Amino acid sequence: MHRETVENALFRAGYLAILAFMLLPLVVVVVTSFAESGNLVFPPENYSLVHYRAFLEETRWLSAFDNSLLVGVGTTVVATMLGVTAAFGHELDDGRAGQLLAPLVLVPLLIPPIILGISMRVYFVRAGMDASYLSIILAHTLWATPLVYFVMRSVFSRFDWQLLDAAKDLGAGPIQSFVYAVLPNVKHGIFVGALLAFIVSLQEFVMALFLSSHSTKTIPVVAWEALRQSLDPMVSVVSTFLILISVIAIVIATIATNLDWLSKQLS
Amino acid sequence: MSGTQSSLPAPVTRLWEPLRERSRSKRALLLMAPLLVFELLLFVAPFLILLRISLMEGSPDLRYADGTWSLDGYVEVFTNGVLLEPIIYSFKLGVAATGITVVIALFYAYAIWRADGPIKSLLLFSVILPLLTTLVIKTYAFRPLLSPNGTLNDVLLALNLVSEPIQFAPGTVGVIVGQIYIVLPYAVLAIYSVLSTMDWGLVEAARDLGASRPRSFLEVVIPQAMPGIIVATVISFAWSVGAYAAPGLLGARDQAFAIEVEKRLLSNLQWEIATAYSVVMLVLMLASVAVLTLALGRFGGEVEYA
Repeated sequence: MHRETVENALFRAGYLAILAFMLLPLVVVVVTSFAESGNLVFPPENYSLVHYRAFLEETRWLSAFDNSLLVGVGTTVVATMLGVTAAFGHELDDGRAGQLLAPLVLVPLLIPPIILGISMRVYFVRAGMDASYLSIILAHTLWATPLVYFVMRSVFSRFDWQLLDAAKDLGAGPIQSFVYAVLPNVKHGIFVGALLAFIVSLQEFVMALFLSSHSTKTIPVVAWEALRQSLDPMVSVVSTFLILISVIAIVIATIATNLDWLSKQLS
Repeated sequence: MSGTQSSLPAPVTRLWEPLRERSRSKRALLLMAPLLVFELLLFVAPFLILLRISLMEGSPDLRYADGTWSLDGYVEVFTNGVLLEPIIYSFKLGVAATGITVVIALFYAYAIWRADGPIKSLLLFSVILPLLTTLVIKTYAFRPLLSPNGTLNDVLLALNLVSEPIQFAPGTVGVIVGQIYIVLPYAVLAIYSVLSTMDWGLVEAARDLGASRPRSFLEVVIPQAMPGIIVATVISFAWSVGAYAAPGLLGARDQAFAIEVEKRLLSNLQWEIATAYSVVMLVLMLASVAVLTLALGRFGGEVEYA
């Protein structure tokens, strides 16, 4: 009995330590955003909102915010359309194309983003469309689509396909039957997939670093450049907003589905 | 899109026809076609061009001399120690970060699986939130924690555990800690998603038969979790070897492959070297990932990726 108590205590101490490790950096970011001094010290000596005021006055962060939003929305639209249609097609008929598609969609996730960034930069320079919003959106879509695709495959695999047959028997065309029979049953999954695509785009920076010009920099790119020069508490302010967006996104996704399902989709 | 097959250019028809013939339903193929085309245009084609440029001669003013063939880039990669060292460093980083990550992830995934109620939600949330936070931010937060005048050193000094501050970051320790933090959420979720389908009764049965808790974990839980462990290992390894953010923000300058290749591409404008370097790294990386997957696969479990 005694041995079991010790084991339980060790087990609990172990996972609480990891929990602390998981959340600590995020706590550091949020807390240092309220620091008064310009040096990055944790915990800060005095607290103030001085960096928040400076953030609102500095245009490079605000324009980076606009860029991130534009790229994020573009990525979400493209990745969701590609991912949902392909997963639907794959579920209808797992032929040769499907066997080719799954690894083709998955492999970009395993390749270091720096190599993807380089190859796409070279590619877009040749195509004469480097440093455009479109090139960043397409690069982010390469990463966001697998998430949408695999989430949707799992959603469609639980869908009752007899509903589709029933709709067809009742005389609905392919588009009509998708809109009235399939869509209402999978809309939560599509929503979560789209949300994940948006978050992927919002946080990705290595490919964006290679593909952006002065006017198309996203938030992580500006943050990276600011940090390479010096540790800048302004980055904590921006990061706090980004963390807040992630928390809101998780809460929304959790309401739409549940945390356990969401966590399995992300793996 | 159907009905226009005859007007498609010949190379497209050559790719499309076999797919169409083997596919049982034309509509399903049409639904998959946009993503297939996207992957071919944005993933396969850029890679072929990258490969082609790596086989060109360098050019002092144009980054590379179009139309030429040369192995100079590859010769440079294999003979220049300045280029070989970062590859070795990156692989060491990959092995260290992966080993530690998988052990921690297995433990944490198990804890999430066994927990319930609010604790389970909290633990899951602690994994998902860092996963959805940008690399730049996560990594930079370790600077005030690990630097010589940082929080960890303050604590160690106050407890009299060390007599003078240790430089964890910038340095290799900082890079490894930062990289573990980046890949840990993915590793935890990969293992958790397998564990969550497992029957707890098996572990109870082992304990009823006299196995101690650590033993039942080693002999029952780990073999069952093997598919998840393989995915976690492969992801951790692939991403740590190619790491850019952690070495860039927490490392001493110019050690990792990713930092070196960026320098060759953007500062030195040696595109034939940078592309050859990327190709070599990619081949080494994918080969070691394949070996790793096969080796771990022998311990049981099939990897499902779709």
